[in-house]
Amino acid sequence: MQGRKPADRRVRVERPHSPYFRYTGPGQMVAKAAAHTPKTALGRTWARIRGVAIGRPLASEEEAGERLSKKKALAIFSSDAISSSAYATQEIIRVLAVAGATALAFSVGVSIAIAVLLAVVATSYRQVCRAYPGGGGAYAVAKENLNPLLGLVAAAALLIDYVMTVAVSTASAIGQIASVVPELGAVKIEIAVVVIFLMTVANLRGLRESGNIFAIPTYAFLGLALLMVGLGLVNVVTGAAHPITTPNAEALSGGELSIFLLLKAFAGGSVALTGVEAIANGVPAFKAPEAKNAANTMTAMALLLGVLFIGITVIAHAYQILPTVGDIPTTVSLVAGNVFGGGSVLFVAFQVATALILFLAANTSFNAFPRLGAILAVDGYMPRQFSYRGDRLAYSWGIIVLSSVAAFLIWLFGGNVTALIPLYSVGVFVCFTLSQIGMVIHWRTVRESGWQWRLVLNAFGAVLTAVVLVVVVSVKFIDGAYLVVILIPTLVALMLFIRRQYDASRRELSVRQDLVFRTPHREERAVVPIPGVNRAVIQAVNVARSVADDVRAVFITENPEDGAAIRERWERQVPGVPLVVVESPYRALTGPLEAYLDVLDSAWPPDKPAPITFVVLPEYVARSWWERILYNQSVKRLRSSLLGRPHTVVVNVPYRREDPTMFERAHAGSSEDAPETEPPEDAGAA
Amino acid sequence: MQRHSGRCLATPARGSDKVAAVPSDAHAVPSFRRAVVALSGHPNGQRLVRLVAELAKAHKAELIGVHVVEIDWSMPLDMDVAGRSEEIQRVLDVAEGTAESAGVKLEPVLLQARDVGAALVDETVEREADLLVVGLAYRTKFGGDFAIGRTIPYILKNAPCAVWVVREPIQEEIQ
Repeated sequence: MQGRKPADRRVRVERPHSPYFRYTGPGQMVAKAAAHTPKTALGRTWARIRGVAIGRPLASEEEAGERLSKKKALAIFSSDAISSSAYATQEIIRVLAVAGATALAFSVGVSIAIAVLLAVVATSYRQVCRAYPGGGGAYAVAKENLNPLLGLVAAAALLIDYVMTVAVSTASAIGQIASVVPELGAVKIEIAVVVIFLMTVANLRGLRESGNIFAIPTYAFLGLALLMVGLGLVNVVTGAAHPITTPNAEALSGGELSIFLLLKAFAGGSVALTGVEAIANGVPAFKAPEAKNAANTMTAMALLLGVLFIGITVIAHAYQILPTVGDIPTTVSLVAGNVFGGGSVLFVAFQVATALILFLAANTSFNAFPRLGAILAVDGYMPRQFSYRGDRLAYSWGIIVLSSVAAFLIWLFGGNVTALIPLYSVGVFVCFTLSQIGMVIHWRTVRESGWQWRLVLNAFGAVLTAVVLVVVVSVKFIDGAYLVVILIPTLVALMLFIRRQYDASRRELSVRQDLVFRTPHREERAVVPIPGVNRAVIQAVNVARSVADDVRAVFITENPEDGAAIRERWERQVPGVPLVVVESPYRALTGPLEAYLDVLDSAWPPDKPAPITFVVLPEYVARSWWERILYNQSVKRLRSSLLGRPHTVVVNVPYRREDPTMFERAHAGSSEDAPETEPPEDAGAA
Repeated sequence: MQRHSGRCLATPARGSDKVAAVPSDAHAVPSFRRAVVALSGHPNGQRLVRLVAELAKAHKAELIGVHVVEIDWSMPLDMDVAGRSEEIQRVLDVAEGTAESAGVKLEPVLLQARDVGAALVDETVEREADLLVVGLAYRTKFGGDFAIGRTIPYILKNAPCAVWVVREPIQEEIQ
């Protein structure tokens, strides 16, 4: 370019790497978004579809790292626990109703016993918050303090717990909606599946729970639920709460009240404790001082959950609410309907808020499950794909697996919350117990100030949750808990198997740190299986010539006359490359080639190291999907048969259609002996 | 293009690792719509780019980062010197990345010329930029002084637009 003065010329230098890469240090580049753009039309179309569905790809540095205040954290981490008050009372009533209406009087006592358990668990988890400011998931605590196997048991239980959270919360949320619009009860499975699909898409888009929008449903529910409990208790105290006729009530069977039944009611209601550990898992997300804020939030959450749970149970008992067929209407909706007035604005608002907090509770698993899957994948217990983050920084594999299994469970159990609950509590109490035992070991090891009373507290929590675990498993075993009892060891075995596979491959691939690798001295030879003489073959032979001095072409045919014809043409057009014609009277292709390679190997001098044999396969590049069916079938067969062969490298040389003149200029020696330019009708050894 | 007299805006700094003090009200700075930023490859360059990027963001202005490789008269001007050098490419790439992290797009331009000052002015004219920003290095040797050289005086004299000279913080300021 000419400048303003005669001598002021300048040259603009092209920077071909610039659209795709950026140098950040010596020998170090960072790929730009354009480097990820697919090159094919099909790939670009798929990328556009994905862009519309889940948004543009995000760079790793775009990940938000917001710290949460206590108020926000309470809304975000407690939605799972607090929302369980929407169905825990229902589970107690359902069990006690077996012994008739008089047995329902025990529901309040059972709920108080569960609230005491909640207090113990929450106090124990406050210790976890303080001891593990980096996040004290049951897996981390058990792995560190107990042993990796028990860590895996905790992980398996957690994975099941997260799946069940999605299934139960979604099913319950649909139940709340159907309590207002009963017609929707007929399509509850379909609605649940659509909701799970929408949550999946939202999470694949990289939905974060830090936004204020996530705090609204929790506080709306808390406000309305506390108002409902307050008004309901006033009704109870003033005697305004009269027994009602429960619509769609199940027929009471008139069984006998027994200790077993009370324990079963306790086990059913203990579902209220699900999600309590979420705060301990998310300590790093709190504002400083993280541990203290998390512990205080844990206390607030436990208090709120306890008040709501006992309050709803007391009111339900006062109104003599019975279990309903298919859980529609739900117990909590009947309580709200009687306190606020059925069909009132407050009733509808409460039902909407309940459904929203339940959806939010389901959504918490979409963050927790993939994150745990990624941790397990990094530790080698899950396939590595679980640790890869997708375009939107979300662990796509974990999200898809979680939503698929949860949707399947909802379909399998007909969207019935009661049918799903037995699978839920077992995993939760396994985690509680292991986590508390882990904390006992932790305090004994670190022995920091006040370790004795902390140890006692966690030991008490461990014993109590272990007892509840035994109770839950025994009383719900036939109802479905046996599935979890089978599933946890199965998952643990699967994770151990995966770890063993990864360990084995790591050992096989490991390189000693003290070794220095120099240019190899092994000899090379190349074998080119050819289907005839065409451009793809010529290109493959030229590639073979560039990697080895010893190059030979192999033509496998069932017709001896073809062999003679090819030989004549080959020797004329490709001088210097010996052609071996292998007649194959049984019309096989891979067998004779492998046998020929065996012969070559056996002919090699035994005192010399075995050479590397490059099998160079000419391949014709298909332009579209349907062309792939027409070409390269033999190449695929040869490649798969040679993949495990020792000292053998399979090289694919793709021939892309190009101008005949260009091809001749690139490959032919001179114009006199230029090869003919017929279309490659027999390309790709096909 | 109308010819403006060169104008020097010396921007004080508050520490080597910080962006030079961006005025609290960025709109108080004379506005510009397209700026050419001279990238010398000096470590101070990143600070310079960050400063200009912050201001460009406030004014929604375009940034063009220009690195000029001076070619000796003994060699042909179009000789492949800069294209192959990773180090030279890195000067532009780092500037591009710095601007991007400030939320501004910077177009990197690599030039080979006989004279850096003339190339920068010519590129500014061709791009119709209304601002040319250059950095002024501080040399600590011999008691410390600003190395004004011959490029900055040339630019100040010949640039047909506003010129900002952003000085590197002197040692006392860093301490």
